[in-house]
Amino acid sequence: MKTFKGGIHPPEEKQLVKDNPIVDFPLSSRYHVLVQQHLGAPAKPVVKAGDEVKKGQVLSEPLGFVSVPVHAPTSGRVKEIGRIVHPVTGLLAPCIVIDADGRDEWAEGLPLERDPFAMSREELLDAIKTAGVVGMGGATFPTHVKLSPPKDKTIDTFIVNGAECEPYLSSDHRLMLEQPERVLKGAGVIMKALGLDRATIAIEANKPDAIKLMREKAPAEIQVETLKVKYPQGAEKQLINALTGREVPSGGLPMDVGAVVQNAGTCAAVWDACARGIPLIERITSVTGRGIVQPKNIRVRVGTLLREVIDFCGGLNGAAKIIFGGPMMGIAQFTQDIAIMKGTSGVLVLREEDTNITAYSACISCGRCVEACPMELIPSVLSKLGEKGMYQKAMENNLLDCVECGSCTYVCPANRPIVHFVKHLKALSRAASAKK
Amino acid sequence: MISSILLLGGIGFLAALILGISAVTFAVKMDPREKAVLDQLPGANCGACGFAGCAAFAHEITVNPEAEMACPAVNEEALEAMSGILGRSLGGSAPLIACIRCKGAPAETTNRYGYVGPKDCRAAQIVAGGSKGCQYGCLGLGTCEEVCPFGAIIMGEDGLPRVIESLCTGCGKCVSVCPRGIIQLIPKTGNYCVGCISKDTAKDMKPLCKVGCIKCGICADVCPFDAITVSKTTSAEIDQDKCQRCGLCVSACPTGVISALRVPQKVRIIAEKCKGCSICEQVCPAEAISGKVKEPYFVNEGKCIGCGLCIAKCPSDAIERIIS
Repeated sequence: MKTFKGGIHPPEEKQLVKDNPIVDFPLSSRYHVLVQQHLGAPAKPVVKAGDEVKKGQVLSEPLGFVSVPVHAPTSGRVKEIGRIVHPVTGLLAPCIVIDADGRDEWAEGLPLERDPFAMSREELLDAIKTAGVVGMGGATFPTHVKLSPPKDKTIDTFIVNGAECEPYLSSDHRLMLEQPERVLKGAGVIMKALGLDRATIAIEANKPDAIKLMREKAPAEIQVETLKVKYPQGAEKQLINALTGREVPSGGLPMDVGAVVQNAGTCAAVWDACARGIPLIERITSVTGRGIVQPKNIRVRVGTLLREVIDFCGGLNGAAKIIFGGPMMGIAQFTQDIAIMKGTSGVLVLREEDTNITAYSACISCGRCVEACPMELIPSVLSKLGEKGMYQKAMENNLLDCVECGSCTYVCPANRPIVHFVKHLKALSRAASAKK
Repeated sequence: MISSILLLGGIGFLAALILGISAVTFAVKMDPREKAVLDQLPGANCGACGFAGCAAFAHEITVNPEAEMACPAVNEEALEAMSGILGRSLGGSAPLIACIRCKGAPAETTNRYGYVGPKDCRAAQIVAGGSKGCQYGCLGLGTCEEVCPFGAIIMGEDGLPRVIESLCTGCGKCVSVCPRGIIQLIPKTGNYCVGCISKDTAKDMKPLCKVGCIKCGICADVCPFDAITVSKTTSAEIDQDKCQRCGLCVSACPTGVISALRVPQKVRIIAEKCKGCSICEQVCPAEAISGKVKEPYFVNEGKCIGCGLCIAKCPSDAIERIIS
């Protein structure tokens, strides 16, 4: 089985939710659609309070190439352009509040019926951008940008990421099991957009049912690869290394080694966008953890409040921490009044005993983090520099190559918040370069 | 016994000889003024001048006749001494002092969540924008205290930093590390500072902090010198150039968010000079002056707020501050 160097083996905990079929989250009465749900340039709202909107209608206009619009998750009336806590920054951010009218009517002309394989590369990229498709594994980088490599980069490898290496989460797993056609056809569309005739779909060995199903359904040009169960197997650079043996250079991107990686969920969204013109207004999310009464995989509209999602899953049960995403890279939340975003792959609710909120102590230089680091960095040194705020020295130690996967923090016997130190150093270096 | 003394003594003598010769042969020629200038600098190596430390700056200012005084931490006396050493006048800026523009101690404010992590305000700020309810308020982890090269900031028992006036040199090191921009440098002659920079309206701020600026504008109204500006979305700002340090704003502020760096000195009337014109009685906002026309007036010290308005208006220079 293919894998990479380094990494860790946290308890998988997928049994809580992996066998629960996807259920539709019922229509809500009000949605809070954040304007900024992607990495990159901002977008500007194009609707105002009082406007009638239909499901799938464009709500914002992207400002720049690395930017995407958001769309109305249902039909109704715009209540206001309000502000809500952004799950990533924790600060108030603009959102479009929509009061649903309950009819859930599509915007005119949607959904379309068209053959994406008859469309040109430019038409496909335009359809993907217009539909607001972003990387759905959590990073939310606009997909059309990833599919538009500069002319001097030759792409020869396309990988569909079905690894889902984050513990607890099963949204991609359920998607591959229940809607394999959407994933495979979407992968086909991306192959066309990239001008490739082959692709690889990579799945961790802990999802044998998905691997079997994909092998049955996949056309000859899509190869299914089994990956060793190890975190962070699904991180872009580690996935490329495991499958091709290539190493993305320091400070580089996957396209520097001729590779493009797309999450399985993103492939499904690309298919909807290209074949049916349906924008990214809903996604599959695992609501899981021992702090929630009924863990579920839900198909939920973007803009649904977390509070409603938790109620739908039977409420909280001794919850100590709520995380958007998985336990390793997800972001802890301090309020339930936040909205599901395009990149919310999971809602994880942990109890006190599932967390490890203890004070940290001095680094004992044991080197476990060095062994665990999939980027071959020296996290112990970075953490010590972080304590002193010495970002220049940290840059010399390849600070910016850290992918913040959390493997070092997980293995540290001194409980040191190494990723927090790294984020701190990165913020300091950003602030210093902004000053110049 | 004798041989060991001779041997060790001999080695010592030889080493001293080598050291003595090399000290003369390899001596680095240094401008003696540079050493003298270095002695006058604070020696904290805070970096506020833009050089790699006091020695680097002493070198620069000695060898480069164009170099200006960039050290904000140097005092008047040392400045004069350095001007003498270098034989040219070193301008130097007006001395500054740091003031903390947040009065929201943990007891007065709410928290959005409990923060666990490195004890550094900048690291705390990147976790969902900081744990404090008010996004403008002091996070209280003491990074300013940590970086102050002069030990002029201490974290008080209330969880807020406090500036020790006599030690602060206005180097600005604390200003550069505060992720919320709460620390401001004001002229050392200034005395009043608004302890809030919140841009929230009073309605949004009140549930988060009991002591912040509610933007009522009373301070701006009572200020006789138009030195205060305030709007619905900006806390009161004192223009230190216009402020005459009367302190009326402090007594008028309903939330007590404006504070004085030092206690204002009360005034007294010199009876021999007073002609009994009654102008002081008329300008006094605290009704602390009384008397009979054409007889010496007197000040009720208990009521005097030390605003000094009377000093400015007295036509006979008959009022002075009480030096304690």
